[in-house]
Amino acid sequence: MQRFNLYQEEYHPSPLVNIWIEFRRSHIALAGFVLLVLFVVITILAPIIAPFDPYLQNTNAILLPPAWEPNGSAIHLLGTDGLGRDVFSRLLYACRITFGSSLVIVAVSVLIGVGLGALAGVLSGVRSSVINHLLDSIMSIPTLLIAIIIVAILGTGLTNAMLAITLALIPQFVHQTRTFVRNELQKDYVLLDRLDGASSPRIFIYSILPGMVELIVVQATIALSVAIIDISALGFLNLAAQDPLIELGLTLSQGLEVAYVAPWLIILPGLCIFLMILSVNIVGEGLRSALRNRLHH
Amino acid sequence: MKLFIRYLNLMVVTIFILIVLSFFLPFLFPGDLLTNISGIVAQSADQRTALEQVYKLDQSIFHQFIFYIESLLNSNWGVSTNDQSNLYQEVSLAFPATLELVGYALLVSIIIGIPIGFISGLKNHNPFDFSVVTFSMVGYSFPVFWLALIFITIFCLQLEWLPISGRIDLLFDVPVETGFILLDIARSDIPNKPDAYLDALHHLILPTASVAIVTTALFIRFTRRSIMDVMDKGYIIAAKSRGFTQRQIFFKHGLKNALLPILPILALQISTLITNVMIIETIFSWPGIGRWLIQAIYQQDYPAIRIGMLIVSLFVMAMTITIEFITRAMNPARERAESAAV
Repeated sequence: MQRFNLYQEEYHPSPLVNIWIEFRRSHIALAGFVLLVLFVVITILAPIIAPFDPYLQNTNAILLPPAWEPNGSAIHLLGTDGLGRDVFSRLLYACRITFGSSLVIVAVSVLIGVGLGALAGVLSGVRSSVINHLLDSIMSIPTLLIAIIIVAILGTGLTNAMLAITLALIPQFVHQTRTFVRNELQKDYVLLDRLDGASSPRIFIYSILPGMVELIVVQATIALSVAIIDISALGFLNLAAQDPLIELGLTLSQGLEVAYVAPWLIILPGLCIFLMILSVNIVGEGLRSALRNRLHH
Repeated sequence: MKLFIRYLNLMVVTIFILIVLSFFLPFLFPGDLLTNISGIVAQSADQRTALEQVYKLDQSIFHQFIFYIESLLNSNWGVSTNDQSNLYQEVSLAFPATLELVGYALLVSIIIGIPIGFISGLKNHNPFDFSVVTFSMVGYSFPVFWLALIFITIFCLQLEWLPISGRIDLLFDVPVETGFILLDIARSDIPNKPDAYLDALHHLILPTASVAIVTTALFIRFTRRSIMDVMDKGYIIAAKSRGFTQRQIFFKHGLKNALLPILPILALQISTLITNVMIIETIFSWPGIGRWLIQAIYQQDYPAIRIGMLIVSLFVMAMTITIEFITRAMNPARERAESAAV
């Protein structure tokens, strides 16, 4: 039976679906998304995908070039390193550590940063430019410097480096949350809640937080790419992950020792870091423009 | 004026906080407190008591702090644990080298990044804009240490065009006065100055390029976004309807309004820039403060770490606050620094 319908569309996409529709209109963003999903899969499934044990030393095949070189072998797809370990397997494990630890860093700094920011935004009276400027100041201390101080106090290690990067990332979330909450608190729907007798935590969780999720996700993608760069840079400087661990920056600096005879040992890990950051940045950019366009419609 | 006093106040408070932080660092570092502060490993009980008296460790923490500030002001910054070298001299040699690299990288990024950002933002969605966006996306995804290594492999090892490390060939005996290599050459009286300049510039190219590519990419993105936002504003449309040409509109209304919001964002990038420069220094053996600090951490040279950290963070802080002050002074309508959105 034909039914009268005022609207052309029967189906009203939710905001999330709307973003996805906008997002996939850009092919580049979609490609970046696929790459990012690939890295997530590697992070979860590295032990299953890896053809070799990353610590297994094959003394018969030391410094074997990748398979596409004239004297490469298809058994070791990306060749072997100075100790005869399979580069492909090592890279998979290294991606796992680098990407996984970056995800943890961002998750922790989002939780702490948004919490503190909400507190600073909801609690009124402490409004003074001092707090704001202090946050700006902390934000302007270079990450490497914070890392150096933390490493000097606690010693080298992946956990300590992660701590340093988390500390460096938190202020920007506090800042964003605080500004957003302050702006929203002026609006009428919050006043309505307040008149209904809602407490400040309730207003934040039920009224303000849902509108803030997108902002946080976009900020988190920026933070993720910063975290990847920093963790691999610290690994490269031997200040983060130490030897038995396999991390991309560390693998790169180990490849430096044999760079003359085996350039692929510095090119491949670097390429992994680069692709990882690129995919995160592309997805972040895609999300931002999708959000912008969705608001325009 | 009121603004100036507020920012001066802010500057003083931040400097004080940083000094307090650096004062408490040796208490947190592992190992002997006396060695962490003085850089000298006491050989005997007598020497130990003598040193403790010098650094007022036998008195209250307040006296120690006063002594710390006094010695900071008297440029008596203690000695390094490893080779007993004077830290003040070391820092005053290393820091200008870092500043030099930061300055050139910043200069290159501003000269290249901002005009390109404007051009591609004004004519967006044409092939030029598309390639610029692609370049900037790729450029700012580069891990800077990998980029430097690739440059070394291509230009130093394969093509042998440029030197791998250092600031100038050892054949040129340039006495160190200011720490800025080009200035030092100008002030020195060596026979073949033009060659020395050329050699120093050759050494500069790769480190500057590695840092500048990442920073330029960021600058392009900020500028492009900013000019695109400004050109959508009502006053631009009003100017258009009054019959101004595109050129007039851009130079009269667009340029200023687009530059103002990006200044504080650029200021926030200084910390990224410094981190990158510090990493680049270790790769190119550039005798700057970053390499010096990282060496210090490998050797657990705690007095050096304390001073180096203090100097670098003071510099970054002072730069950030100054730029923020300038932006506020130029644009009173601005409430506070917007946080960076790439």
